[in-house]
Amino acid sequence: MKNLSSLCIAALFSFAVSLSAQASGSAAQAKPSTPPTFSSAIDAEITNLEKQFVDAAEAMPEDKFNSSPEGLNLQGSEFKGVRTFAMQVKHVAADNFAIWAPLTGKPEPAGINAPNGPSDMKTRAEILKFLKDSFAYSHTAVAGLTSENALEQVEFRGSKVTRLSLVILALTHATDHYGQMVEYLRFSGIVPPASRMNMQMQMPMPPKPAGK
Amino acid sequence: MKHLQVLCFLALLSFSISMAAQSGAPAAKPATPAPQAQPAPPTIAADVDRQVSMLEREFVGAAEAMPEDKFNFAPASLNIPGSEYKGVRTFAEQVKHVAATNYLLWGAITGDKSPLESKGDNGPDSLKTKAEIIKYLKDSYALGHKAAKSLTAENAVSTVASPFGGPNPMSRLFLATFSVAHAFDHYGQMVEYLRMNGIIPPASRGQ
Repeated sequence: MKNLSSLCIAALFSFAVSLSAQASGSAAQAKPSTPPTFSSAIDAEITNLEKQFVDAAEAMPEDKFNSSPEGLNLQGSEFKGVRTFAMQVKHVAADNFAIWAPLTGKPEPAGINAPNGPSDMKTRAEILKFLKDSFAYSHTAVAGLTSENALEQVEFRGSKVTRLSLVILALTHATDHYGQMVEYLRFSGIVPPASRMNMQMQMPMPPKPAGK
Repeated sequence: MKHLQVLCFLALLSFSISMAAQSGAPAAKPATPAPQAQPAPPTIAADVDRQVSMLEREFVGAAEAMPEDKFNFAPASLNIPGSEYKGVRTFAEQVKHVAATNYLLWGAITGDKSPLESKGDNGPDSLKTKAEIIKYLKDSYALGHKAAKSLTAENAVSTVASPFGGPNPMSRLFLATFSVAHAFDHYGQMVEYLRMNGIIPPASRGQ
């Protein structure tokens, strides 16, 4: 898929770093970039992912929110029992909560029902809110990550794993499903928002220093 | 998609810890009991390398699952009424793109470059056959392991020049983890391409 994701992420990352630098002081005092920390490096990735994922979820209209490729009845295909678009979003939101929770040192929030999310959550609006809340939770969870505690082991679904392993799992798990949702959007006639134009054109890229 | 990524992660983690624990065990029973082998303490390199291994297994497995005669499949050819697949990548281009991006991102950490030039965003034009593309993909993961194993607590958040040429440098940790996430984005798309062709992705079989 020509979604230019690498370039978009790079541009967005540069933008995020620039914003981060500006947030800590006046424009005149801001440094070109703030040195990354363990938590800021990962938080930038969450921000990138959140932007792409939420935009993709919101791009699917209400009347197609429960679509699945199984419903296309494509000759020779094998889509039996795969998740609907709504189930993909709910699953990622629920697992966001479940995977990030051990980093907080607290139990996962009540009612998450990972991995599939709350069974009584049906509407697009409810599911989108659940998704956005899960990313807000992710930002909170990663805020305490340091190079010292990243390798400490925490309990996750009966196994002892490091915080860093869970961080990478959370990011990769969601991008896997994002890739699937891109296809659901396309067969529904919708170009994924991240693929609609070269985002490099949208990003305020600072000029390169003179002489370089 | 019911692909059990989370369960695979836990299984691979358990296996890795088990192997690490066994690696120091003697081949024959000693006269006196040896101290119980302890799992190696976790390191950033080991954690990231484990994720590269998991990705490699799933991604290469998916790439190999597509037969030669369908390797250039793109959903546009299905002519699904109302769909919007104009100009999207073929399966082969997905694989080449990810392999080339692997080289770009992990190479920024190690200083290595792809052995083949990519003029556009779809990987080297010189690669045509499934065998050639799979080899390029596998070779890119060898670089991934090298990059992962170079990470330490000290250098993880130190920065290198952006491989995209942007003005802001990028941390090794960002490059190492984003490369895995980027590939899983395309893996998710390739899963759909496989299912469109009646092929259940290897990681989803047996469910």
